[in-house]
Amino acid sequence: MDTVLADSKNGPLAGIRVADFSVHAAGPFAGLMLAEMGAQVIKIESSARLDITRRPHAMYGKPPSSFEQINANKMSVCLNLKEPRAVELALELVSVSHLALENFRPGVMQRLGLGYEAMKEVRPDIILVSLSSNGQTGPESGYAGYAPMFAALGGLGHLTGYPDGPPVELRHAMDHTGGMMAAFAAVAAISARQRNGLGQHVDVSVRDLAASFIGPELLDVAMNSRDPHRNGNRDPSAAPQGVYRCRGEDEWVSLSVTSEAEWQRFVDAIGSPAWASGDEFGDAFRRWRRHDELDAHIEEWTLRYTAAEVTQTLQARGVAAHPSLAPDAMMQDAHLQARGAFPTVYNSDTGEEQRAVAPPWRFSETPAAIDRWTPTLGQHNMEVFSGILGLPPEEVEDLERQQIVW
Amino acid sequence: MIVANTQTSPTALAGLRVLELGGLVAVPYCGKLLAALGADVVKIEPTATGDPSRRRGPFPGDAPHPERSGAFLYLNTGKRGVTLDVDDPQGREMLRQLAAQSDVVIHNSPPSLAESRELTQTILGELNPSLIVAAITPFGSGGPNAEYAAHDVNVFHAGGEGNLLPNGLALDTFPDRAPIAAGGMMASYQGGLTAAAGILGAVVAQWNGSTGQSVDSSMQEAQLAIGYLPIQRLEAEGFVETRFSRFFRMGGVLPAADGYVELLTLEPRQFEGLARLLGEPEWASADKFRDPATHGAAINENLRQWTAQHTREWLYREGQAHGVPIAPYLSPAEVFDSPQQRERGFFTEIDHPETGSYDYAGLPLRMGETPPRLTRAPLLGEHNAEVFGALGYSPEELTALARAEVI
Repeated sequence: MDTVLADSKNGPLAGIRVADFSVHAAGPFAGLMLAEMGAQVIKIESSARLDITRRPHAMYGKPPSSFEQINANKMSVCLNLKEPRAVELALELVSVSHLALENFRPGVMQRLGLGYEAMKEVRPDIILVSLSSNGQTGPESGYAGYAPMFAALGGLGHLTGYPDGPPVELRHAMDHTGGMMAAFAAVAAISARQRNGLGQHVDVSVRDLAASFIGPELLDVAMNSRDPHRNGNRDPSAAPQGVYRCRGEDEWVSLSVTSEAEWQRFVDAIGSPAWASGDEFGDAFRRWRRHDELDAHIEEWTLRYTAAEVTQTLQARGVAAHPSLAPDAMMQDAHLQARGAFPTVYNSDTGEEQRAVAPPWRFSETPAAIDRWTPTLGQHNMEVFSGILGLPPEEVEDLERQQIVW
Repeated sequence: MIVANTQTSPTALAGLRVLELGGLVAVPYCGKLLAALGADVVKIEPTATGDPSRRRGPFPGDAPHPERSGAFLYLNTGKRGVTLDVDDPQGREMLRQLAAQSDVVIHNSPPSLAESRELTQTILGELNPSLIVAAITPFGSGGPNAEYAAHDVNVFHAGGEGNLLPNGLALDTFPDRAPIAAGGMMASYQGGLTAAAGILGAVVAQWNGSTGQSVDSSMQEAQLAIGYLPIQRLEAEGFVETRFSRFFRMGGVLPAADGYVELLTLEPRQFEGLARLLGEPEWASADKFRDPATHGAAINENLRQWTAQHTREWLYREGQAHGVPIAPYLSPAEVFDSPQQRERGFFTEIDHPETGSYDYAGLPLRMGETPPRLTRAPLLGEHNAEVFGALGYSPEELTALARAEVI
C-alpha cells in the first residue's frame, strides 16, 4: 500500500513519509527530529506566504542563513494553498504520507480544507500532529502566541529568573522543546499504528508542555496552597549551588553540592579555607540559610581560576561542576567534538561545507543523521509531484506557471 | 476537537515492556511519558532509600515522608515499582532476568558503572537480542567528560542556553549577575523527553524487525540540539550570541500593574494592532515599529510605562482582541486555576493511599484514538511480589531476599 521510498536512509524511521505543513520554529523542529531519524519529511511551503524563517527576522533582523538547520534533511515543495488545485495536491500528498504535521492557529487547517477529517477521507490511517500555543480546545485556543508566551502562561517563565527580579523569557528553547514533544507524540502515534492500525489526530499544546515541566511545583500548590517563586540558579536540595564568576572575560562556572560527603570533598578541593571549617556552614541547612555569604566566599576562590580549571579541580573529587558555555566555547569543547556533536554538512546552495548540530541520540544500529542541508524553496517540486504523485513533468511545469505549485 | 473515551480506548504503547533504572528527573520523566501512553514500566529503586526524589518534596504540610514527595509522585505516575540492589550478585541476576523479558531498558549509569553493572546492550543483548538499552546521562556514554558528575544546573549551563539567559528586563535590572538556568529543572525534563522520542524511534525499528540496539542520549546534547540557533548564527554569520546581544529590541518582559506580561510582535499586522491598542501615539508610529534597531529602546521605555498602568488580565484580553501577541506571566497557583487548562482537562485528579487525592499536571498532548492515562506512582517495593513472582521466585524466596536486603 505504501510507496517504496527511493530515499530511505538507515535511521529508525526510514520508510516513514511526513507531509510537513508547519512553519516558523516549533513545528519545523519536530519535522527536523523526524527527518534526523530517517523519515522522509516533505516541507510544504509557498512563495505566496514565505515561512517566516525564510525572511529576515523582525526582531533580530538577521539573514535567513541562521535559521537553516531547522529545515535540514527535508525536501521542499511549493503549494499555494489559496488555490483549490493546490489543496487537492496537498491531499494527494497526504494520501501517500503516514503522518502530517502542522502548527497553524487552531482552525486554519480546516479553513484551508486540510483539517483532520479531510485528511482522513483520503487516508484513513493518517496521523495528524497539530502543535499550537494553547491546544486545539479551550477558551484561549485561538489566541496568538510565540515561545516566550507559552512559557509565561505555563508558569515556567515565572519560575525562571533572579528571585528579586522580573521573570525571564524563554524563546527558542521553549519552541523547540515543544517541537520535541510533538516529535515524541508523532513517533508514539506511529508506534501505535504499528500495533493497532489506527491513525489519529494528536493535539500538542506548548503552554501545557511548559506547565508539565513544573509538575512538582504545581503539586506544591495542590498540597500546600503555596505559590512557588523563582530561584535563580539555586535549588533547595543543594547548598552551595550556583554559577560563579571565574578568571577571564564573562567566564562562569556552575557547581552544585548536594550531600555532606560532597561538601567535604568540595572544601578539600578549594584548599580547606578557614571560613569553611567552622560551624557557620557546618550543615546543608546552615549553608542554605547563609547562601549569599557562602557564595561570596566561593567566588573569591573561583575568581582565581578559569572555568575549565575549576571544573577539573572539582570533578576530580566527584563534585558536579561545568563551565557555563558560550556558543563559541561549545563549538571548541573537546568533549562535544570527540562525540561528533558538530558534523560537517555539505550545503549545495553555497557549494560549501558547514558545521551543523548533531541529532541528540546515538543509535548503535539505526543511526540518526543530519546529512543534507536546507533545501531551497521548491527544490523538490518535480521529484515529489512527478516522482511520487505521478504527475507528468509538463503538468508540474504548468502548475508552476499558474502559481499553484508556487 | 479530540474526544475519546479514556476507559475503553487502546493505548499507544500497549504491550511495550520497559525497565527503568534511574532516579530524580530525566530517566523517571522519560519512563513516565512512556507509561502514560500505555507501556508497562517497571521502575527499579534502591532497596532501603528508594529514588532520591522521594526525599525532594514538596510534601503535604511540609512533613517529609518517602511516600508523599511531590517530585516522586509526579515523575512516576503509571509505573509498577520494585526495589532491588543491583550491585548485589543475586540482585544483578534478577536484573538480568527482568531485562531478558523487557523490550527497553532505560538507565542513567555513566559508562563505567553501566559496564560494571552489566547494563550494556552488548551484555544484555545476549539474553534478549531485540532489547533496546538506552542510557540518559548528563554528557553521554562516551567522550572525555562522560564520567563527570552533574546536576540540572550544570547541564543547563553546559548545554548553551544557560549562558544566554537572562535577557531583556532581568538583564537590564541586574547586568552584573551570573547567567541563570531556567526554573523547574528544565534541562532534566528536556533530557528525558528527548530520550523518549529517540527510544520510541528505536521501538518503531524494533517492531519493523531491527535487532536490538543501544541508544546513547546525552542531556547536554539534547540542550544543544534544542538550542542549535546560536551555533548556526556563529557558523553562518560569525556572530557570537551573548545574553547581552540577545534581546527583543521591542517588547519582551514588561511590567504590569500586578506582575509582568510578555509581548512579542513579529508581523506588521501585530504592530498595527498594538498601535491601535495604544491609541496611536507618535512614539509607536508604523515607521518606528519597522525599525526596531533605531527606535526599539525608546518604544520600549514608553511601552513599559504604559503596560505598568494596566493589569495583566486587561493587557492579555485587550491585546489578544487586537491581534497582539501578549500574555501574562502566571504563577504556578494561577496556572493551577487557569480556565484554559481546566477546560482542556489538563489537570487530572489522582488518588494515592498515602496522600489522598490531588490534581496533577497532565501530559501536554491529546491523542484521539489512544489517549494518555495517568495513574498513581507506586509505593516503595509495591510490586515486588508481583514482578519477581512472575520471574518464578516463590514467596519464601522473596521473603529471604527481602531479609537479605536484595529486594
